[in-house]
Amino acid sequence: MSVVTRKLIAKELYVNRWFIFGGALSGVISVLIAATGKMGFNVGSLTWLTTIIATGVMLGLYGIMNERKEHALQFVLSLPLSIADYVRAKMLGLTACFLVMWLVSSTAALLLVFAKDGVPDGIAPYTILLCVFMLANFIVVLCGSIHAQSEAITSAVIIVTNMAVSIFMFTVAPLPGIGKFMWGPAPVWNSTFWTVLGCELAVLVIAFTLPFLLAARRRDFV
Amino acid sequence: MLCIHSMYSGINISQTDARPMYLQIMEQIRARIAARDWPPGKELPSIRALAAGLNVSVITIKRAYLDLESEGVIVTRHGKGSFVAEVNGLAGELKQEQLAEHLARAAEIGRVLGLTEDELTARLRAALKHLDKK
Amino acid sequence: MNDKHIEMRGVRKVYRFFTLDDVSLALEPGQIMGFVGPNGAGKSTTLRLLMGMVAADAGEIRVLGHEIPKAQAAAKRDIGFVSAEMRLLPHTTLGWHMEFMKSIYPQWDGGYAATLVKRFNLRPEQNARSLSLGEHVKATLLLALARRPRLLILDEPTTGLDPVARHEVISEFMDVLRDENRSILFSSHNTVDVERISDTITFIDRGRIVASDEKEKFLDRWRRIQVQLPPGVTLPALPNIVKHEVDGQFLTLTTNEYSEGLRNLMGPHVTHVHRMNLEEIFVANVMFHREARTQ
Repeated sequence: MSVVTRKLIAKELYVNRWFIFGGALSGVISVLIAATGKMGFNVGSLTWLTTIIATGVMLGLYGIMNERKEHALQFVLSLPLSIADYVRAKMLGLTACFLVMWLVSSTAALLLVFAKDGVPDGIAPYTILLCVFMLANFIVVLCGSIHAQSEAITSAVIIVTNMAVSIFMFTVAPLPGIGKFMWGPAPVWNSTFWTVLGCELAVLVIAFTLPFLLAARRRDFV
Repeated sequence: MLCIHSMYSGINISQTDARPMYLQIMEQIRARIAARDWPPGKELPSIRALAAGLNVSVITIKRAYLDLESEGVIVTRHGKGSFVAEVNGLAGELKQEQLAEHLARAAEIGRVLGLTEDELTARLRAALKHLDKK
Repeated sequence: MNDKHIEMRGVRKVYRFFTLDDVSLALEPGQIMGFVGPNGAGKSTTLRLLMGMVAADAGEIRVLGHEIPKAQAAAKRDIGFVSAEMRLLPHTTLGWHMEFMKSIYPQWDGGYAATLVKRFNLRPEQNARSLSLGEHVKATLLLALARRPRLLILDEPTTGLDPVARHEVISEFMDVLRDENRSILFSSHNTVDVERISDTITFIDRGRIVASDEKEKFLDRWRRIQVQLPPGVTLPALPNIVKHEVDGQFLTLTTNEYSEGLRNLMGPHVTHVHRMNLEEIFVANVMFHREARTQ
């Protein structure tokens, strides 16, 4: 990795520092709220979801489009790098930003599941699937953003992926392998779990690699 | 008060002046040489240094120096720089000889045409004016 | 050894409503080239092509010996690019940018950068958001100049600058040229500045290069000649007349190849011969070429 790419990744983390910090903090607070009881659990889980989605949108949309709109793109492109280097730095940088916030929020959620007696450990597989889904979701948004030539397309991608969260929850939770064991005392790692996880990871990998194959090959960037 | 002393702080190139920039430069350099502010043998600023000092293109300074050299006012030594020509220097001498010859010829022709001294002087003035117009 | 800093040959770029066609350009080290053209002529596109930000559909581009866009990362190590559209990264300060550049470019001159901060009347703690257009331009110029790059490619670098700032900036450009191994290509509407500091000038209009030559040659060859013809007198056929304006007895002829010979052909009827400034040459040149194209 060249010096420029490394510096740009560091710059991404710096420029988005408030989103990362704010997102992580909200995630932790949401988990704390979820620990306060049944009502708290509902409220907390909702805000936890919203926080992760919102941070993902801000990073995915703002991180890419605003650089274009605010003409900072030309500044970055005037650095000693190729278009492929730029795409690489953007993907790695923004993913790193999201990962920091996501790791904090996911760890907090899992801690709640295993540490708190009021929350059944059986919900752990579903929680993990949900977390990985959010990560995959973000990568898809990022992939869409970096290829999109207009704000309209990017917004469409974001709307679709947000709907996907709801769809995920309505389809995965009732799955026989998941729903039956969700409120049980112990986590069940069955084939349903692994299959869903496998699909999520596949989508994640595809969405992450696509920009390196497509956008990086683009010859016109402004 | 802002007082600047440098070799070319007094040289001013005006873009609103009708005369081209290279001529303005030549004139101001000639004036300094004539006034002995830039005495014979003194090294002129390098072309690039003068260009940067005056905020005028290198090509314009080059042209001014080339023309001054063909007039014998300055001498350029390859690789060493440009210098104010020695008054009794070879380049200056040749030019003086040329002038003497031309004036002698002009006087002869004037006589043949029957021009008076005033008429001949007027013709010389007109020729100078024509040169300035170019 | 003739290692040109910029070589463009027959470059073509097609957009939906605009085509850049057969663009050829050469910049020698130690030179400043002024790039002049009306809005929409293709100046910015040309400069973006040089920086590898867009790729040509045909033709060759070499900058500092590197093939563009293939080797653009290597070329850009020694190119400073500033465009009036450029902005600093959001949520950061000028000081952060200076540190950023220092960490990427080994040739960064911190002392010179500090001098420029003062000279351009900027403050390192300023947030990118709070900068005016002129301050963005000065800031990006500072970031480019302090690296002491071999080649500077500048798109309207005096946009939004007050006369004092413009003067400071022009002085810095001329300082760059103290080194005969460095060069500058800049596009500008400010024909006064272009006329003053350019060694060569390239005119572009509607996606095509109209003319490219040494500045002094343009200034030497273009003239506006005023002629007064008494009734019944006509002029012989004259070569190289780009424009004919007739007002009764009074004629104004614009030529792009002035010579004593041409003047003599007009005989005693010439009343005035005016030199033309770059703006007048530019307009006359473009108008002439537009007419020629439509025929």
